[in-house]
Amino acid sequence: MTASDAQAAVTAVWRHEAARLIAGLTRMTRDLGLAEDLAQDALVAALDQWPREGVPANPGAWLMAVAKRRAIDQFRREDTARRGADILGHELEDADRRDLADAVDHIEDDVLRLIFLTCHPALTPESRSALTLRLVGGLTTAEIANAFLVQDKSMGQRISRAKSTLARTGVSFEVPTGAEREARIADVMAVVYLIFNEGYAATAGDHWMRPELCLEALRLARLLAALLPGEPEVHGLQALLEIQASRPRARRGRDDEPVLLEAQDRRNWDQLLIGRGLAALDRAEATGKAVGPYVLQAAIAACHARARRAEDTDWLRIAELYDVVAEAYPSAVVEVNRAVAHGRAFDPAAGLAVLEPVSGDPALAGTALVPSVRGDLLERSGNHAAAATAFHEAAAATRNEDERRLLLRRAAKNSQPGV
Amino acid sequence: MRYMVFVKMREDVGEAPAALFEAMGAEMDAAFASGSMIDAGGLADTAQSTEIRLTAGDVITTNGPWAEAKEVAGGYSIIEARSHEEAVEGARRVIDLHKEHWPGWEGSVEIRQIRGGQES
Repeated sequence: MTASDAQAAVTAVWRHEAARLIAGLTRMTRDLGLAEDLAQDALVAALDQWPREGVPANPGAWLMAVAKRRAIDQFRREDTARRGADILGHELEDADRRDLADAVDHIEDDVLRLIFLTCHPALTPESRSALTLRLVGGLTTAEIANAFLVQDKSMGQRISRAKSTLARTGVSFEVPTGAEREARIADVMAVVYLIFNEGYAATAGDHWMRPELCLEALRLARLLAALLPGEPEVHGLQALLEIQASRPRARRGRDDEPVLLEAQDRRNWDQLLIGRGLAALDRAEATGKAVGPYVLQAAIAACHARARRAEDTDWLRIAELYDVVAEAYPSAVVEVNRAVAHGRAFDPAAGLAVLEPVSGDPALAGTALVPSVRGDLLERSGNHAAAATAFHEAAAATRNEDERRLLLRRAAKNSQPGV
Repeated sequence: MRYMVFVKMREDVGEAPAALFEAMGAEMDAAFASGSMIDAGGLADTAQSTEIRLTAGDVITTNGPWAEAKEVAGGYSIIEARSHEEAVEGARRVIDLHKEHWPGWEGSVEIRQIRGGQES
């Protein structure tokens, strides 16, 4: 095996094992930074040994054994930490015995504990994403920096700051229980959703999608659903992301311009991911527990995903679902979406009736959202002059060049006599 | 990147030991949970398969079994990996489990990247 083969093999093993390795070491050392250092030391040892001896049969166990040995060595070397070494030594032996007895359950607890730490509310949202991708996703700092379009160095600083914040604030390493648990699960889901959206609707950079971030978020959502199978919202999040991730190929036009949902060529939707998304939605509903925003959004996404042609979309069901969302989580953006759904499910006047009350909402001021939806509804109702005015207003408000061109085209179409 | 992985073996090897089923089940659960495995399935034996072949302008339909074939695909999985090496590492474990739980078994795992899709 050549050095570069070994490097590739070690990187691949790291991706498979990072979360479990760091999670197990965090339980034993109660120190996230130390756990990561130990895991990295084990990787360096692998880079040295594997080219000569080949990849071991169980690479994860090999890395864990090396890391544990280093942990004990290190604590023994430090005189001042002699007492700590004794404690750690006992803990490691206990851990070894437990690993043999109930390895699977234990690993799941460890990884869940790690995710709760990397998504801890003591950290800023940016730090939560970065730390989660680093320690749970097994990405390198350079990969994360690249994905978020920042310098390697500043991403490295952000990650080490996050680790020292956790150490300094003395956060609990236990999986939260009771009322706190609900809130912390919501925090974790928000991190995964944020990573996905950063990839799906890239807010910066030359490309308006970064699929690698979507893929990482999807993996995290699947992991979370396996770790918390009794939580409907976790399945809802997975369902929502699987269905949204099925569309990137159809979302890009010939010249890389965005294509709206109804105009997408549905043959380019990834049916494998849609199938997985619908199955996750079924699992959410099968828990029989009260659902929240992710399940509702997933149920709406599923209505689109089930329709093989845009005209087959079950708008009545979508309108019902938006009514529920608006009742439970009222916001101006939800009202605009509800207006679209009512406009399709019933008639344009029904959509306009929902839209008008939020047209002056400060949350939407200066955006193209309200005027573009109003233009669409007016066009459908045959009021072309008013539609043209609305599309002009929307075109003046948008900051996206592709969208502006599209809106001006629709304005021009409605200005022609006899349309 | 998305990969299709085939497990290939002689067809006359008999039933897999229960221990292998169990170990493979646990490995696949872990792979599904970690998000890397998207789909997987076992294939029925070639006695229930059909080949339609075009040769020199003739279309010939042949039903299995493929007695003359050395190795046939017995199962497949579709995995998502960020590199070829990562896909290989996942597939290598399948061979390791066969080695551990099915003494004397011989066969192979073939890892093929699926073109197109989301690898931009």
